[in-house]
Amino acid sequence: MLIYSLRRIFQSIIVLLVVGLVAFSMFRFVGDPIDNMLGQERTDADIERLRTELGLDQPFIVQYGKFLSNAATGNLGVSYRQGRPVASILLERAPATLELAAVSGLFAMIVGVGLGVFTAIRRHGFAANFIMTVSLIGVSLPTFLIGILLIYLFAVELGWLPSFGRGETVMVGGWSTGFLTASGLKALILPSITLGLYQMTLIMRLVRSEMLEVLRADYIRFARARGLRERAINFRHALKNTMVPVITITGLQLGSIIAFAIITETVFQWPGVGLLFINAIQFVDIPVMAAYLMLISVMFVGINLIVDLLYFAIDPRLRVDTNAVES
Amino acid sequence: MTLKKSALVALGVMLSCSVAQASTFKWASNTDPQTMDPHAVNSAPVLGFLNNVYEGLVRRGKTMAVEGALAESWEPLGDKGWRFNLRKGVKFHDGSDFNSEDVMFSYQRASSEAADTASWFAPVSEVKVVDDYTIDFMTKVPNPLFPSSIANFMIMDKGWAEGNGAALPSKDQENHATLNANGTGAFQLAERQPGLKTVLTPYADWWGQVEHNITRAEFTPIQNSATAVAALLSGNVDMVNPVPIQDAARLKQSDGVKVIEGIEARVIMLGFPHQAAELKYGEDAGKPNPFKDVRVRKAVAQAVNVDAILQTIMRGNAQPASQLVSPAMSGYSAANAERPAFDVAGAKALLAEAGYADGFSFGLKCPNDRYLNDEAVCQAVVSMLAQIGVKAELDAMPVRNYWPELRKDAYDMYLLGWSPGTFDAEHPIRFLVHTPNPEKKLGSWNFGDFSNARIDEMLAPIQSEIDPTKRQAMLDEAAKIIQDEVAYVPMYVQPLVWGARDNIELTQRPDNFFILRWVTVK
Repeated sequence: MLIYSLRRIFQSIIVLLVVGLVAFSMFRFVGDPIDNMLGQERTDADIERLRTELGLDQPFIVQYGKFLSNAATGNLGVSYRQGRPVASILLERAPATLELAAVSGLFAMIVGVGLGVFTAIRRHGFAANFIMTVSLIGVSLPTFLIGILLIYLFAVELGWLPSFGRGETVMVGGWSTGFLTASGLKALILPSITLGLYQMTLIMRLVRSEMLEVLRADYIRFARARGLRERAINFRHALKNTMVPVITITGLQLGSIIAFAIITETVFQWPGVGLLFINAIQFVDIPVMAAYLMLISVMFVGINLIVDLLYFAIDPRLRVDTNAVES
Repeated sequence: MTLKKSALVALGVMLSCSVAQASTFKWASNTDPQTMDPHAVNSAPVLGFLNNVYEGLVRRGKTMAVEGALAESWEPLGDKGWRFNLRKGVKFHDGSDFNSEDVMFSYQRASSEAADTASWFAPVSEVKVVDDYTIDFMTKVPNPLFPSSIANFMIMDKGWAEGNGAALPSKDQENHATLNANGTGAFQLAERQPGLKTVLTPYADWWGQVEHNITRAEFTPIQNSATAVAALLSGNVDMVNPVPIQDAARLKQSDGVKVIEGIEARVIMLGFPHQAAELKYGEDAGKPNPFKDVRVRKAVAQAVNVDAILQTIMRGNAQPASQLVSPAMSGYSAANAERPAFDVAGAKALLAEAGYADGFSFGLKCPNDRYLNDEAVCQAVVSMLAQIGVKAELDAMPVRNYWPELRKDAYDMYLLGWSPGTFDAEHPIRFLVHTPNPEKKLGSWNFGDFSNARIDEMLAPIQSEIDPTKRQAMLDEAAKIIQDEVAYVPMYVQPLVWGARDNIELTQRPDNFFILRWVTVK
């Protein structure tokens, strides 16, 4: 177990380092931050001076090395655009993204499971087929378009919900939350639907197919034969057994909800880390881009590492064996 | 079913009950001012925003005319410099008094090595405090335009800046003045969250006559133009700058919203490599550079149908340009207001005369996110040049990649927009037309190395001539040379398109600065 864990951790670190290396080799192609940082009245000498000051005249491998050694001491550098420490900017922006991701994850989970069960039970009903068809459209429309459509319907036409931003936020400790004000909650609705729609459809389809599988199983038939109520069969016995793969998938999807929040945050001007990253690309704010990419890869690698270790802890074959003995 | 329906209606009623306060004003723009320090970054978003909070010795009025702000009056000291008589009884937002010490301090701060605004003070040889309310700016050579060239030089309180460790501006590190402000302007900074929200409130002890009726102003940057337009339509913001040109017509049709159009100071032009020996792109790469021949440049100028570009791409919102500045700028040459007529046959004849009867092929570089519809304009130029047998290969890229390309001369023709920071015709001559000279900081944006001895000779006299008639005569001569030599092909003056709710009255200034004290909410 120990050797296995150490090997997995070592591999994760290698992955992180490679991601960073690729990122740094790409920054040169994103553009040149110098012109954005100097005004119209800059001279060639100013350009060269600033380039040397920022270390941009060095090969990318040297820049990467410098970033890593600073990051190891907790210093993520200073944003070119804002002139403030990247770490504090990220901490300011993280709550917005995490709250959005949590609400969309919850939305995807609850609505996805509900609709999945519904479409599985009423497999041939009109409503179920309608939901399945609409969900297909929902998946194939790009997030950007869904967001704009929702804004036009609920903000411009009906005027029910705000068209952008987070509403009023309250500081709780160092965490700015939108959960405690009416405008904050209202502002969450459209972005979380936009962000969670894809995952919702995914979960719905997964639950549906798992349910259909389970509903055909012998123990469900026996349960019916015993005269158990439909509700008990569907939710107590069938749904419970479909949840294992659903939870695994949801866990993995949480990472991509945070990573893909970029588009939703841009459409709704949601002040999270995704929007920060988009701004950083436009300005070629290399310290912010580097920190964001490293953060996202740490998150993905971390989730994967945990999943890997969990798989080892609950090796399915072992479980099959013990189950066999017990029964 | 009915229960569900009524629940939905109830939800809708509940959600729509947000009552807007009468004189809270919210506005959005696509760029957040990156700092609150008026000397750290010399860029339009920063200076435009901070003009509401800080003030200069002089300021620009609704028509860009220079008027007194912290200086009540000013007069030339012969031809040695300028004396500014400061306004008495002015207080900074924190209550401290304004006097000549603060001007002296701000001069030292804004002209320091760490400041981005140092070039404004290149003509200054010395600054002398005469008394508490009089200060002299001495210039190296006579400088008639000095007062108007420092309209964005904002005055900071000496005690406040030094007491908070912000005696020098800082760009790559945070200091107190990056996030806080203490000016004398009509509005004070109430809240600053970089990239999210900036709140201004009126300053009760402001010295000026209050025209606005705002009690609180909230600024939000919204990058995505579709989101900004939706925010305006839904009433979540009261004003948006800019409105995409393609949405302007639709907004005009919408209820409750109006579109405010004007002409910006920025002239969009085509530039040439004047010194390059060979073409670098297209099928003729490696062949001699045809743009060294003035007849070819003239042919390009005649082949571009500016009116068609303005009608189709700019939807009639822009004005054609004949020279490097728009008619709204001082020093504009009315004598050279004629642009070369659109003339395909004439352009072909010129090409034939130059030995390019069969045309040639070259590469056109163009930004795709710098100016309004820049890539579309370049595409139009490509198809117009095709009509005279010249084949342009368009390479459009984001501006963050564009300037480095131009700096290393990787183009055969390029698109450039220029907004003169001093609102005077001398500015583009200094930056775009004078032979590049890094020591004297001249011609720093003259990528194509255009060089003309007469222009180089005239720049210094233009800068120091006190007599307006003589000065204009020289500017006229310069404009004529630039036109005759086709140093650039000026195409049009870029439009300004803002959107606002119907109940908002505001003034649009040609430098695209949004001045809050001219806003009234009805």
